Amino acid sequence: MTATSTPPNVEEQARRAHRAKIIRNIIGRGGAYAVLIGFATAMLFPFLFMVASALKTPEDTFRYPPKIFPRTPATAQVDGADVELYSVEVPGEGLTTLYLAEQGVQAGLFAQLDDVETTVAWPLQLASDTGQTTTLEGETLPVYSVQLGTETVDLALVRNTAVGRFVAQDDPSVETFAVVRTAERAESIDPQWQNFNEIIELRDFDRSLTNTILVTILVVGGTLFTSITGGYAFSRVRFAGRDKIFVAYIGSIMIPFVVLIIPLFRLMVSLGWVNTLGSLVWPFVFNAYGTFLMRQFFVSIPKDLEEAAFIDGAKRWKILWTIFVPLSWPAIATLATFMFLYAWNSFIWPLVSINGANSEDFVLTIALQTLGGQAGEGPNLIFAAIVLSVIIPFTVFVLAQRYFVENVATSGIK
Amino acid sequence: MTTATAAPPSASTDQPGWFVPLLLWRGLTAFLLVVALIGVLVRRGIVLDGPIRWTLIAALVAAVAGGGLAVRWTMQRVHSGRLAGFTIDFLLAVVFGFVALNRMDMFNGLDAVGEAFNGSVAWLGIVVLGWLVSGFADRGEQANANLKQVARWTMIGGLAVLTLSMGLLPGLLEFASRLVATNVLPLAILAIAAGAFARILWSDGAAKLFGTTQSQGETMDGMLFVAPNMLGFLAFFAGPLLVSLFISFTEWDGLTDATFVGFQHYIDLFSDDLFLRSLRNIVVFGAVAIPLAVIPALLLAALLNSKLPGMKFFRAVYFLPSIAGVVGVTLIWKQLFNSTVGYLNFIVLKLTEWFNSIFGSGIEAPQPQWISDDSIALISVIILFIWQQIGFNTVLFLAGMQGIDGTLYEAADIDGANPWHKFRNITVPMLRPTTVFVVATTTILALQLFNEPFILQSPSPPSGPGNSTLTPVVYLYQNAFQEFQIGYASAVAWALFILIFGVTLLYFRRGGDEGVLST
Repeated sequence: MTATSTPPNVEEQARRAHRAKIIRNIIGRGGAYAVLIGFATAMLFPFLFMVASALKTPEDTFRYPPKIFPRTPATAQVDGADVELYSVEVPGEGLTTLYLAEQGVQAGLFAQLDDVETTVAWPLQLASDTGQTTTLEGETLPVYSVQLGTETVDLALVRNTAVGRFVAQDDPSVETFAVVRTAERAESIDPQWQNFNEIIELRDFDRSLTNTILVTILVVGGTLFTSITGGYAFSRVRFAGRDKIFVAYIGSIMIPFVVLIIPLFRLMVSLGWVNTLGSLVWPFVFNAYGTFLMRQFFVSIPKDLEEAAFIDGAKRWKILWTIFVPLSWPAIATLATFMFLYAWNSFIWPLVSINGANSEDFVLTIALQTLGGQAGEGPNLIFAAIVLSVIIPFTVFVLAQRYFVENVATSGIK
Repeated sequence: MTTATAAPPSASTDQPGWFVPLLLWRGLTAFLLVVALIGVLVRRGIVLDGPIRWTLIAALVAAVAGGGLAVRWTMQRVHSGRLAGFTIDFLLAVVFGFVALNRMDMFNGLDAVGEAFNGSVAWLGIVVLGWLVSGFADRGEQANANLKQVARWTMIGGLAVLTLSMGLLPGLLEFASRLVATNVLPLAILAIAAGAFARILWSDGAAKLFGTTQSQGETMDGMLFVAPNMLGFLAFFAGPLLVSLFISFTEWDGLTDATFVGFQHYIDLFSDDLFLRSLRNIVVFGAVAIPLAVIPALLLAALLNSKLPGMKFFRAVYFLPSIAGVVGVTLIWKQLFNSTVGYLNFIVLKLTEWFNSIFGSGIEAPQPQWISDDSIALISVIILFIWQQIGFNTVLFLAGMQGIDGTLYEAADIDGANPWHKFRNITVPMLRPTTVFVVATTTILALQLFNEPFILQSPSPPSGPGNSTLTPVVYLYQNAFQEFQIGYASAVAWALFILIFGVTLLYFRRGGDEGVLST
């Protein structure tokens, strides 16, 4: 701007500004992705943890420090026999995976002559008494000449113990000795798929799953039916008091469900519906929100379409199902996904109305809550149950993501 | 019907064959309504002797009056007769049908279906597959008619096998046997008769006979279309709501008779330490959780709204916690919160070690008892709530941002605004209605907090260590379903409702004219 008199400077400035802008852009994008990935990790980690824990053994879920992948102690076959694999320190070679070839080898715990804290457990076979003694921390101990691998060292025998002999699978000449109790087992990643079978067989969990599917189908279908007919009446059929009733409907969306729990439960008691799946279905197929959603969509459909059909003598019922419904798939799918999640995940109402001990009436949320509240089952089985309970919503979400997002977008903004 | 259409339209004296039966039926229904009214007046001790009985009496008085007038109007052949008769018959069919089916325990037949469903759920998969394939065959560039036919027949076949394997035939037999065994046959016949007369009154022939105009016909259409929704709405929403209000004025244990205590429960609430504690907990919870569930969501949405690649993936990932059910995710977090083997304390430990190794400090890693420490239990609920809510709020904000006029940003670009200025001066002000909505829904959810503390603390009481996770809904639940203080619990429910209503009103007042309720 200032340097019209010195053109090269301007060019240089512009180039520098351009470069600075690119750098800023890269930093900005990098920062944006860093934040997004950070949050994505926080959102995904619990689910990753869920899947991994569902495939663990019960002991593995209580491991500390925690490890994400399911592991089990490794075993191998040597000469037709099952042997346990350990991760043991071999002098000169570091940590190596060896199998336990022999247990209870007579051994001594040897300490360094100048340091009683540094000890090694080694077979007495590989040590010979030198006849000398040494005094460590006020105790007189015999000194042995111990053959550690290739070298021989003089060490003090603290006490007798037993060790295991560990041998490499591929090379029998590689062997070492260690106390079995403190040796670390070698582990292999080993998903426990049978956890899913176990949880399905446990206390009618399969029944809970199918009950949930059934309830969800009926709630979604019933809500769609009542919302479509109601929405059509509120948008297209003129009758006395229509708009006042509609305002009451919208107002009712604001009323929290907790106000209804007690009277609805009393109603279930007097109808004899407590502890039945019906109590989870019938009260929930009449939905003000759904009616509102369908009405808003029907209002936007041009009137010409139905007028032509009217002239042809079609009845309203037929017009609704042959003209309005096919045009309203986006709204119907949006409502269906909303009701699907609502029915699948609802907790407080089933907790109240399915309060019996009969697990044949359970839905997934109640089955999960019951499982989670019991110390008896290992966490691995609980996690397997959680996986089964989220797998269908996640699949539906992947297939119909658009409508989920649409539902959120339309639920309040327009 | 056939006689009506066959008769010359001008002959007003000519009446169709169903007219006399209809008149008799009108008389019978009017008589039945009177009997029902007398029955209710004489008999006492119906469930909750107060409001339900009076509502019933009021409804029956209206019905008797309507029934009497309907007889008169039907004889005069005016539209009011058709309308009143149709309404009465429709409602009678619904009520009698409902009572008959409920006596036969048919509404609980779902559980039997559930049992059979287990073995035949695979067929449902075939139905869904057929539906999906027929949908796809219809869509592509060239619609594949053959494939669509095959898919459709697969679907129909699957449905047939599904219903048969779920026991359609034994079910029908069971239905028939219960119809006889449970003495509901008279009720069922009345229901069917009422339904049949409603159908006759609905017909074009009846419209002609009673001289119904087009707009009167439209009103009947409207009533019929709204009916399924409206009846359910009254029975399962509006009715219970009013009953709940009444219960809150009574002392009731759910078994013995309720006694009216007026506003006593509401007065007691103010001096109930536990209720006040639950309010305090929920206010602390909201004050921390709501900003933390909303502000990061706004920033994330702003990042997602940039046209960088991969944003759809991130949006989907953020949405996952709100799809997985609250029970499942809470159980996952319960394990993460585990104080000895949980990942959260492990991460805290590792971060502290890392910090110490960099700065040479000797800070000892805190290893809190997330769930059982009374000063921390509420914080763990807050963490869980934020984790669940952030993604949902992000998607809400994102939807709002995509509705902002793009030319505003273009104009700002010309003026040389940087991204922060654009965010601060365009996005935030334009997003005000969305922000109000997001904050309001998050607040409403927070005030109804129940699931998270209930599941996290289970099998301990949901009120948590030292009542630290006692929320109003938890308190309501404990009162209603563990202490059987149903009247008092209803008062808690209404107090909470008033609180929620007040907060919502406040938000939308401040949100200006573009609130949700302007339709």
